[in-house]
Amino acid sequence: MDIISQLQEQVNTIAALAFNTFGTLQRDAPPVRLSPNYPEPPPANPTEDSTNVAEQPKQMSAAFVKAAKQFDALVAALPLSDGGEEAQLKRIAELQAENDAVGQELQKQLEAAEKELKQVQELFNQATDNCLNLKKPE
Amino acid sequence: MSTATYPPPPPFYRLYKDYLQDPKSAPEPPPPIEGTYVLFGSNYTTDDVLPNLEEQGVRQLYPKGPNVGKIRSYSQKAVFVPTVIYFKKELRALNRELQLHILELADVLVERPSQYARRVEEISLIFKNLHHLLNSLRPHQARATLIHILELQIQRRKQAIEDIKRRREEAQKLLKEALGTLEGQ
Repeated sequence: MDIISQLQEQVNTIAALAFNTFGTLQRDAPPVRLSPNYPEPPPANPTEDSTNVAEQPKQMSAAFVKAAKQFDALVAALPLSDGGEEAQLKRIAELQAENDAVGQELQKQLEAAEKELKQVQELFNQATDNCLNLKKPE
Repeated sequence: MSTATYPPPPPFYRLYKDYLQDPKSAPEPPPPIEGTYVLFGSNYTTDDVLPNLEEQGVRQLYPKGPNVGKIRSYSQKAVFVPTVIYFKKELRALNRELQLHILELADVLVERPSQYARRVEEISLIFKNLHHLLNSLRPHQARATLIHILELQIQRRKQAIEDIKRRREEAQKLLKEALGTLEGQ
């Protein structure tokens, strides 16, 4: 995939990671204690919450930072010369002129080669005709 | 242009009554459309160019073309604007801003959860700017591809010229040799 499409994909990946992070954390976060008057929330299941709730933010934020660094690496890999549009157009004009010249040279060579081929074929035909005529008929 | 639920077919078929006998008596096909045209009630344009962000109602966060003193960011600071957009620098700057904004959103969600809307809006603004910058790189890529193709074609043509020259010389040599052997007999 070309570099610009990769950059676009990376932007979309960063967006997806961001909203997955926030969505998951909001969904799975334990309830917050609002005031000392309210009773403590009942203790949640130890198996699911303790491992996931502490690890998930770390893993997801690590993934997000990695994706952002990947984006920076891709931006650094952009083969962008600061020549701008005019430099590119000038180069295109030069290349077109050179292409035309080379094309004409090719055409000339091709015509000369075809002419020589015709000559050789003609001479060969004559030679074989002579050969056939010199053979004594049975 | 009339609109109806079940419009009849256009009545132009009558003009082609004598087409088989005389092809010139019927009108010519219409010329290709230029500019904008209306199709099923909506406007389309034949000029395929990327509309810049203001036309889509999105604020542009990176500096624009040859306008000096335009407002660069939403902090209302006027900054001198370069005449060329430095894509790499702006992309990296936007990336950093995006990460800062996501951190801000996380903070807001913890402390003042009711104020998330503005932060989310700013994050989506940054994403739109990012995608617009990347899209405006495409014409540059197209021109670079064209340059590459032209260079390849020139190289192939030069190679073909070399091949033809070599073959012609070989043929000449063979003919001379044949002539030599024939005369030697």
